[in-house]
Amino acid sequence: MGNFNVSNYDIHTDDENSEEKIKILFFKSDHCAFCPAALERVRRTIQQFGEDAIELEIIDVEKDPDMAQKYGVLALPTIIIGDKSVAGVPDTEKLLSMILTARLTYGDDY
Amino acid sequence: MTEYKIERVKSGIPGLDELMEGGFTKGDAILIAGKAGTGKSIFGCQFLYAGATKYNEHGVLVTLEEPPEKIKRNMMRFNMDLEKLEKEGKLVILNLSPLKSDLPIQIADYPSFDLSGLRILIANAIKKVNAKRVVIDSISLLAYRYQNKAILRAELFKLAAAITEMGCTLLLISEVPEDSSSFGVFDVERYLASGVVVLYNEKVSETNRTRLIEILKMRGSNHSLRIHSMRITNEGIHVFPAQAIVK
Repeated sequence: MGNFNVSNYDIHTDDENSEEKIKILFFKSDHCAFCPAALERVRRTIQQFGEDAIELEIIDVEKDPDMAQKYGVLALPTIIIGDKSVAGVPDTEKLLSMILTARLTYGDDY
Repeated sequence: MTEYKIERVKSGIPGLDELMEGGFTKGDAILIAGKAGTGKSIFGCQFLYAGATKYNEHGVLVTLEEPPEKIKRNMMRFNMDLEKLEKEGKLVILNLSPLKSDLPIQIADYPSFDLSGLRILIANAIKKVNAKRVVIDSISLLAYRYQNKAILRAELFKLAAAITEMGCTLLLISEVPEDSSSFGVFDVERYLASGVVVLYNEKVSETNRTRLIEILKMRGSNHSLRIHSMRITNEGIHVFPAQAIVK
């Protein structure tokens, strides 16, 4: 496994696009055994970017099944960042790569 | 064997129930397996449509494959108005088709997930219309969405158990790969269900095919051991019990 420090990546959060937060959707339920571990990993990864850069929305599928249906979420945990999703507990490198990809994609929209 | 009668659920397929003591065993999971073009989806919709219109049993159709609009359109050819059933609160079509343009792209799955999301969505739909019949069309599509088949196999057992424990009779539709002698892509499909019904569309000559149906397994039932002729008519699937091919 490599060094997970975000400073290894060439990211700029203080440019003109910095007001646009990257949104992470985290789908969970209280009966999902792997959800706490996945959420912990997501939170730790987000800390590397700073609170202002990323918005984390946690969706409990039992309370909000419509959101799960909208995003086609069958497996838990599922993490959606931009137009990509992963199921299970992702490694930190994958999360970082998804966040960075989303950042680039957001930039394209301006 | 004693005269004890197991409660039955009418299949809604003319000619089929008399081959298995009057219907599917109530509250069980039944596998409907067949290659492409054998009529599996029609079978599933007919089961739900008959339940809602003839037997006062509401249903849930979980579509993991075709979008609801296409299913509704195709079933209208057999005079099955699924949209009307939805409006009347007798049917929920749970749209989990991957053919939605705005769905995120699944780029990875780690060996640390379960299918509790799917279980929750189906349970929610069952409660919405007090459903007694559930069809999942098809379980094979899960293998294309998630790579980890070991997890999927275990989760399919849990999914089937959760649905039948809610008092529903469940049809699991499974697409059999063209060159396969199994009942689906997971190789455990036959163990998932109390019953296995196989549909065939066999080439009988250079220019002809014939449709056949076989009840391979139906626990708690003295079922036909023959392969029977089947047709898809303007009113859906019709089985001909008298036209049997001896095994």
